[in-house]
Amino acid sequence: MIKKMTAGVMALTLGASLLAGCSSGDADDGKVTLELFSNKSESIETYKGLIKEFEAENPDIKIKLDAPPEAETVLKTRLTKNDLPDIMSIAGNATYGELGRAGVLEDFSGTDLAKTVQPSYIDMINRLVGPEEEGTFGLPYATNANAVIYNKAKFEEHGLEVPTTWDEFIASLYKVKAAGDTPIYFTLKDAWTGMIAWNSLGANVAGEDFAEKKNAGETSFTDQYDEVADKMETLVQYGHKDNMGVAYGDGNNAFAAGKSVFYLQGNWAIPEILKANPDMELGVFPMPVTNDTSQNKLVSGVDVLLAVSKDTEHKEEAMKFAEFMMNNDTAQKYIDEQKAFSAIEGVYQEDPVFEGIKANFENGTITSFPDHYYPAGMGAENLVQEFLIKKDKEKFLKKMDSEWEKVQNR
Amino acid sequence: MKKKNSVFLIITIPAFLLFVIFHSFPALQGIFYSFTDWKGYGDWNFVGLKNYLNVFKDERAGDAYLFTFKFAIVATILVNIISLLVAIGLNSKIKFHKTLRAIYFLPYILSILIVGFIFNFIFAHFLPQIGDVFGWEFLTRNILGNPDLAWIGIVIVAVWQAVSFNTILYLAGLVTISEDLYEAASIDGAGVWTKFWKITFPLIAPFFTINMVLSLKNFLMVFDQIVALTGGGPGKSTESISLLIYRGGFEGGEFAYQSANAVIYFIVIIVFSVIQLKFLNKREVEN
Repeated sequence: MIKKMTAGVMALTLGASLLAGCSSGDADDGKVTLELFSNKSESIETYKGLIKEFEAENPDIKIKLDAPPEAETVLKTRLTKNDLPDIMSIAGNATYGELGRAGVLEDFSGTDLAKTVQPSYIDMINRLVGPEEEGTFGLPYATNANAVIYNKAKFEEHGLEVPTTWDEFIASLYKVKAAGDTPIYFTLKDAWTGMIAWNSLGANVAGEDFAEKKNAGETSFTDQYDEVADKMETLVQYGHKDNMGVAYGDGNNAFAAGKSVFYLQGNWAIPEILKANPDMELGVFPMPVTNDTSQNKLVSGVDVLLAVSKDTEHKEEAMKFAEFMMNNDTAQKYIDEQKAFSAIEGVYQEDPVFEGIKANFENGTITSFPDHYYPAGMGAENLVQEFLIKKDKEKFLKKMDSEWEKVQNR
Repeated sequence: MKKKNSVFLIITIPAFLLFVIFHSFPALQGIFYSFTDWKGYGDWNFVGLKNYLNVFKDERAGDAYLFTFKFAIVATILVNIISLLVAIGLNSKIKFHKTLRAIYFLPYILSILIVGFIFNFIFAHFLPQIGDVFGWEFLTRNILGNPDLAWIGIVIVAVWQAVSFNTILYLAGLVTISEDLYEAASIDGAGVWTKFWKITFPLIAPFFTINMVLSLKNFLMVFDQIVALTGGGPGKSTESISLLIYRGGFEGGEFAYQSANAVIYFIVIIVFSVIQLKFLNKREVEN
């Protein structure tokens, strides 16, 4: 009897110690082990290579990469337990803003490392944290971009040129439709894909500081997004016959199979399209949103930023790793492998596919994703999706306003 | 006697402890947090009944309740009709009835992700192709992309998957009915319908009750089928309450608010189950 009880207790304690074993500690051989937390499953291989290089340069530091699924939820639960990883590689979105406001991240403002980053990206992430907390709690590293992707072969077939104004863009869509082809392949069954056009339109038409003003009660969707909603409606007229029934994955394949001339997606879709059709010739350009070419900016956001836990025991080592990552050669390697863009000044994506948007990065005509600043609970993408089906503009804009305010008041 | 008691204790106490630790305690914690403004991390304050009042004012929660009940009632009725029919069929003296039983049970074993993948393909590619070939306009578009029809797609998948389990329960019931009764009825000249309504249905009444209660409860908590098929879309037309609670609570940082929603929903489900049980039990006794 007692024997069995002891066995039971043993099993329990063993389980407990296994659980406790998850928290990182120092290895016995005097090496420091750092935990690198990443929210991207796509970059695991790239990180593994970079870590190997770093460990060769710094023999007393070991880096343990942790890239779990549902990473942001994992990070939030670890925040509740006061157990943040030493280094975090996360996106510049609402979760970063929450961590920044919670005061658990190292402040990089004014440091040499932060100075190597293009100032517009530093601005972008500072605005995510908001005015409640002063500081730059991360180093923007890799960025992404919303673009219009086009099929070069079809483009020539229809005799088109890259449009630089909204009217030219619509004219080319019209031309394709008149020729009996599909202008844009929409994948609106996945609500988030509607936000690509929405963000491009919103950032350029309604202005970059919309969210701050909306929070301060100075503006509303009804005031500022009328034109955006109209233009969204115009765009869906140039889709295929089942805009709402096709999901992102199917859309990538359909576009790769030449089912449309244009595709509204970000740089992240390009490897997927090329996987489906490796010989395809693709081009990209920023969506021309207005007829004033100087006002049309490329929507680009911080896809990866590096943050360091404020209370880590190995701050010096963590900083060393950050320095290694921010080094131009490492940054170049990262964006080449990930087909991303760099937030670091002087590091450019040279892949010929991105020819059409390269200039935007070089002269800084970029703006951020407006929906990164929306309250997380409002579910904007489903509201936009609903609008594109029901097309009742006034009701939709009012609903966007009321959902925003409702989440704020909770 | 004494020894027996201690054996019971050794078996029950760990189970009881596990239940309290992993079930009751988190549930109480959830109820506690529903009176605060906790976001899932950081500081929090008591806000009294504010979250509850906000749930009642929340149009989105209202829409989710309407959708969930519409879905659950339709699915419960369909599942019970179909599974009763299948069970009667499998219970009759047909060839391969054991193999058939195994095949009918397969959908229940398959992971919902696989099921979702298969049905997504059927709705997105297979049915529209059939629609194109035969010129049926209503089929040429993916019904999951249509806010008025998407719920039907979910009903089809949910029913397809749930029928197998309810069929097993009905089969268990049908086995308890003695052949003699049917023979006696035949001698008295009863037809198939009379046999069903006067013998089969009354005698499996307890199984009917449990199937109705279980399926309504399961369908009211519908979550994975929706995630696999529409993600709550298009728009918010297929957003169930469980999905709303999960989305808002974990992704949207409204932990406390959605805890309040969950507590309300918990009470609603209990009330419905109890009413259903009372009503259906009464029917059983009368027979």
